[in-house]
Amino acid sequence: MQEVIAARGINFAYTRVPVLENISFTVQSGDYVGLIGPNGGGKTTLLKVLLGLEKAKGEVRLFGTPLAHFTDWHKIGYLAQKSPVAQSRFPISAEEVVLMGLPSSHALRVTRAEIREVYDAMQKTRTREYAGRIFNDLSIGQQQRVLLARALVSKPQLLILDEPSTALDAKSREMFFDLLGELNTHFHTTILLITHDTGEVGKYISKFMYVDKNLVFFGTKEEFCHSEEVARKLGPFAQHTIDHLHNQHGHCPLGATCQECRHG
Amino acid sequence: MVEFLSYGFVQRGLLAGSLVAVSCALLGVFLVLKRLSLIGDGMSHVCLTGVAVALLTSTGPVYMSIPVVMLSSLGIMKLTQKFKIYGDAAIGIVSAAGLSVGLLLTALAGGFNTDLLGYLFGSILTVTTGETWLCVGLLVTVAGGVLAFYRLLVATCFDEAFAHTRGIPTQLVNTILVLITSVAVVLSFKVVGIFLISALIIIPPVSALLVSRTFKQVLWLASGFGVGSVWAGVYASFVLNIPSGAAIILINLCFLFACYVGSKKVRRD
Repeated sequence: MQEVIAARGINFAYTRVPVLENISFTVQSGDYVGLIGPNGGGKTTLLKVLLGLEKAKGEVRLFGTPLAHFTDWHKIGYLAQKSPVAQSRFPISAEEVVLMGLPSSHALRVTRAEIREVYDAMQKTRTREYAGRIFNDLSIGQQQRVLLARALVSKPQLLILDEPSTALDAKSREMFFDLLGELNTHFHTTILLITHDTGEVGKYISKFMYVDKNLVFFGTKEEFCHSEEVARKLGPFAQHTIDHLHNQHGHCPLGATCQECRHG
Repeated sequence: MVEFLSYGFVQRGLLAGSLVAVSCALLGVFLVLKRLSLIGDGMSHVCLTGVAVALLTSTGPVYMSIPVVMLSSLGIMKLTQKFKIYGDAAIGIVSAAGLSVGLLLTALAGGFNTDLLGYLFGSILTVTTGETWLCVGLLVTVAGGVLAFYRLLVATCFDEAFAHTRGIPTQLVNTILVLITSVAVVLSFKVVGIFLISALIIIPPVSALLVSRTFKQVLWLASGFGVGSVWAGVYASFVLNIPSGAAIILINLCFLFACYVGSKKVRRD
């Protein structure tokens, strides 16, 4: 298995207030990692550090290359928590936004191959019908789906997503997580996803990472659900997450091995 | 009109003014969308330091101001990046520093004189041939840069964080944008004066953004508004015997008002 993300001894502070302390972990190719934790626990900051958007102490390697020397950015798709433009007058169409996800080979001209890739990505996120509309005229949910198309257009091997489903309605959310699951299952795309939606995403996620300034837990879903240590450390949150996983699907995602079900 | 255009100094002024107006408009579109437009205002105040040093040392104000303003703009960038000071606060600090040092040096140079007043309020008809060539160089750099790095610039303006994850050196892009703006600001003080430079950077792009549907349309329209305002302003100044800098900016404000009314009408329809 290829090492996709390796973080060693990550420490980060905003004006001397520590946000991340001594975080080390490795994400392997094909992993679908749910990054969870309380608000202000440093989840978004951790993603920014991994992408080089914030400078931190420690070492980050992407696809085996130190972050400072990493150039294969087309291998990574990123979707931030907030839509990038709050101002209402940025005159750019949805398809031009998706085009930004491709490494630009020409300054002005857009090639037919690029247009094809843009429309393919928009088809996947069901945004093809908005292609020609001004991005800021779309609803927040529609914008989020266009931005997901931008993250997918370069056919990335690693997707880094920061609470991508918050602005989506129930139907779009289901479509969204099904699409991510399909990418992970069929195309072996590695996914690192910040979420509070543990129930809905739970059926796809293979590993959980819990960050609250420190790396409290990183392991498989089975280990997360069954670990007494996790339950002790996380208290009601762990129980809530496990309950959510159970209730959401009507049956236990862990099958006969689940201690919770046996106890039930 | 023909008589007006027959004077060499008018032709030179209109040419330099048009070149600077297009440069400022093109740069202004990116600065306005990046919410950095007030950087022009800060830099224009720093121009006073450059002009005062030039008056004190009897050198050319334009040539003296370019390095001073470039250094100040780098100072603004450093304050925001290194010391995490808000952009508007950093601009305010550097602007105040530039203005106070400029005033101090002006006093040392013997106080306000007609030369200085010309720089404060603009004197487009005194543009020299050398300065006109500088304006040509500026426009070639700005227009060439926009053509060569169009997609990269738009991506950085739209979403800097995502642009970074595409391998675009966003900090370098910002630094180059700000440095070129420094040169544009210095070359603009002959056209509209130190006090009104930022208007030439802000108003044409804002007017264009009100009525445009595409990014390329914004660039074309903003440039058109800039050039139109220079020609109409200089002509109004010639006919009505009013300051050209003020006339240029007032005409820009008329364009802005017309675009605002136009955008409202389009939305209603």
